[in-house]
Amino acid sequence: VIRRAAPFRPFAVGSRRPIAAVLLTFALFSTVSVAFSIRATNRSQNRAAMVEVAARQRTLVERYVQEVLLARAREDAAPAYTAALLEKSAAVLLRGGKVPAVHGDDDETELAAASGAPARAQLQQEARLVRDLTRAGTALLAGRPVESVPQTAHEHITVKNPVRRLRVLAALTSNVSLNAARTIATSTDRNVSGLITLQIVLGIAGLAASLLLGWALATVIRRQTVHFRSLVTSSTDLVLVIDEDGCRYVSPSVEAILGRHEIEVLGDGLRHCVHPDDIPAVEAAAAHGDAHEVIFRVSNRFGEWRSLEAHVTDLRRDRHIRGVVLNARDITERVELEQELTRQAFHDSLTDLPNRALFRDRLDHALARSRRGNEVIAVLLIDLDGFKHVNDSLGHDAGDELLRQVAQRFDKITRTGDTVARFGGDEFAILLENASEEVAITLAHRVIEEVASPVTVGGRDFSLGASIGIVLHRGGAGQSEELVRQADVAMYAAKEAGRGRFEVFRHDMTRQLGELLGLEHELRLGLERGEFQVHYQPAVDLGSNAIVGVEALLRWTSPTRGSVPPAQFIPVAETTGVIKPLGEFVLREAFGQAAQWLRDGVLPDPFVMWVNLSGKQLTAGGVAPLVLRTLAATGLPPSMVGLEVTETAIVEDGPSGARARAELEELHEHGVRIAIDDFGTGFSSLGHLRRLPVDLIKVDRSFVQGIEHDAKDAAITANLASLAHALGVLAIAEGIESEGQLESVRKLGCDLAQGFLFARPAPAETVTRLLAEQGRRVALRSAYRESA
Amino acid sequence: VRPATQLLRQNWLGYAIAPIVLLALTGCGLYGGHGTAAQVVRVTERDFKISAPKHVRAGDVVLKVGNHGPDHHELIVVRIGRSPLPFRTDGMTIDEDAVRRRTVGALDPAGAGATRSLRLRLAPGRYVIFCNMSGHYLGGMHRTLVVGR
Repeated sequence: VIRRAAPFRPFAVGSRRPIAAVLLTFALFSTVSVAFSIRATNRSQNRAAMVEVAARQRTLVERYVQEVLLARAREDAAPAYTAALLEKSAAVLLRGGKVPAVHGDDDETELAAASGAPARAQLQQEARLVRDLTRAGTALLAGRPVESVPQTAHEHITVKNPVRRLRVLAALTSNVSLNAARTIATSTDRNVSGLITLQIVLGIAGLAASLLLGWALATVIRRQTVHFRSLVTSSTDLVLVIDEDGCRYVSPSVEAILGRHEIEVLGDGLRHCVHPDDIPAVEAAAAHGDAHEVIFRVSNRFGEWRSLEAHVTDLRRDRHIRGVVLNARDITERVELEQELTRQAFHDSLTDLPNRALFRDRLDHALARSRRGNEVIAVLLIDLDGFKHVNDSLGHDAGDELLRQVAQRFDKITRTGDTVARFGGDEFAILLENASEEVAITLAHRVIEEVASPVTVGGRDFSLGASIGIVLHRGGAGQSEELVRQADVAMYAAKEAGRGRFEVFRHDMTRQLGELLGLEHELRLGLERGEFQVHYQPAVDLGSNAIVGVEALLRWTSPTRGSVPPAQFIPVAETTGVIKPLGEFVLREAFGQAAQWLRDGVLPDPFVMWVNLSGKQLTAGGVAPLVLRTLAATGLPPSMVGLEVTETAIVEDGPSGARARAELEELHEHGVRIAIDDFGTGFSSLGHLRRLPVDLIKVDRSFVQGIEHDAKDAAITANLASLAHALGVLAIAEGIESEGQLESVRKLGCDLAQGFLFARPAPAETVTRLLAEQGRRVALRSAYRESA
Repeated sequence: VRPATQLLRQNWLGYAIAPIVLLALTGCGLYGGHGTAAQVVRVTERDFKISAPKHVRAGDVVLKVGNHGPDHHELIVVRIGRSPLPFRTDGMTIDEDAVRRRTVGALDPAGAGATRSLRLRLAPGRYVIFCNMSGHYLGGMHRTLVVGR
């Protein structure tokens, strides 16, 4: 049997009922008691008067006999008046009314009719005897025979003497009057005793009821108190009340959270537990109480730092609290995860060296210092020659091992303040601060030497070469991006000049390189000639295995160079500004294609056309109007369009970064979806991510590739997926090539996937076929379901 | 005014015990006819008359006296001598002191509805049973009992 849940009742209501019940019970019992008392008192008063009148009858009877005798002796007497008094009083005693006063003796008395069968019977008898008596008296005075007077009260008087006969009647009357008075008096006693009994019963019942209700009230209050206390004590939150003097209250959960006893934290204790760096924040919260959130570290019993995030409420004006209330949660795990993710975001997982993002960050800082102190900064960009050969002949594992060893050597030959980073693949960079051209060149020589000395991998010795581009910054303003690009140009120059060398950047190299590549011109020409094509790669929902979107990918087939990968021409397009017309072209193509599919009715629901935006495109501005214009031109609903952006582009500081974020925000408000591409390679803080309008996080293919064998990659993927879910967005895994990888990403919590396993990027016609097939399958399934 | 406890006891216990006493008395009556048990004589008092059987056998006798009211009544049993019962000076009541030696039993006054028993050992002879409340004897409340062997 399932019991129905009791309806919800707020706490405060519970205690009012017992209180009301107690008061009502008291009122009820008091009312009953008072009413009975009044009634009994009234009755007692009436009865007392009756007793008095009944007793008076006795006197009157005797007086009547005397007056008759006096009248008979011709003395001055008024027996008729006394007779009338007697008869009237007897009638009033029986039926109620006004008892006549005896002149000069007493006053008129109002009586209620007699109650109780015995008393009434006696009073009736009295009335009859009074009548017999007065008639006998009248007969005696009138000289008539008294014997002839009828005996109506069952008396059987045989006495002949008329006076004695009268006196017997008087004795009988007097007697019955006395006894009637006694009966009434006894019933008065009974009335009083009944009242006493009632009061005792009411008193006991009232006391019992009040005790019971009081107990119920106490139980309710105790239960509530216990309820609230257990709410506070069982809560995993820590409640602190603090003021200028320190901690005034700490909830018992401090035991569970910090393993500390309340005494240790109370008063000044809190100051000793809080991390010295965080004391100002906590003190500020205690002093002002206006900060909504404060995060601080507290040492637990074992001296470990736990991070607490506290909600601050100023209740200093509340007279029950008189302090600032901190409602704190232990967020240590979250902070550690953030730190770990940040570390992962800034380090290369293979060599544990800083990655491109951290390198850029350090370079930015170095540039800032250089601007102030005119220090010379040198950046060395190193590309390993011959590494691809090792990778191809011995496999990725051997390649990875080689990279690790080389990284260790680089670390050894640099100073502690220098930064060695791996940019990816076989590309490394070294940042030298406080350097000079000589120092940079000396290091370049050493790098070439170190790389050239044989490395043993898989039982074989390898000797590699290194091409190094060096750029020097001699104080003043500078852009880190610019420096790295210049180093890149210098490195290309070194490669062109023959491997195993270094080149120091010169400004004429850029032009030379541009001419060397001649790409810009070809790109513009290619765009005019229609050498660019957009291919589409489906994204699949891991729950339903259905295609829920496609990513638009730009392809360039040059008549002279053949198929050129985007990684080669996009940086050139970005540098030369060709990216603007190229971006417009992709948007137009992709949106137009999606609109065409929509018209053809091959699109599943939901469906999103994802288009990549380059960082340059975003920071240059004007993306929002462009996207909205293109949407309007193609008639595609904004919800079917998604933009993939790189994280570095949108977290960039300065006005261009802010504008990019605002434009994305605007598009997001229109319904356009936003995805973070290559996630996990560049955030300074997860806090940024929370504030960005993001719907989807792409888990970089580099993590997916190692997911089956590398526990670290799997952990990162799982973390990213759970992070995505925590932020309320979806996670998509890129580059799925095998069933094993598919299973892994599914298990690790990714929602969507994309990769060769499902479909390669293909021209629109191929994807149209795929979408149509899926549509037919869905239609067939639903038809079966309906017929079933 | 009597104490409340006494009143309570009188009211409650009286009503509670009455049926038990009645039952006991009825039992005595039932077995009265069989040899050794006392002879039960029903006596009824009312204003102003006493009803009782005229003849009663000598020996142990239980007078079962019921007052039908409405007034209070008592009962006195006196053996009749040569002289009539003397009155007190008020002329309304029998002089009980004067007949004390001949008095074989008495019941105090009781209200209407009361039923009481008076156990007597009666020798053969003539007796008068009467109520001696003021005027009641003269009002007609007396009766002669003849006790035979």
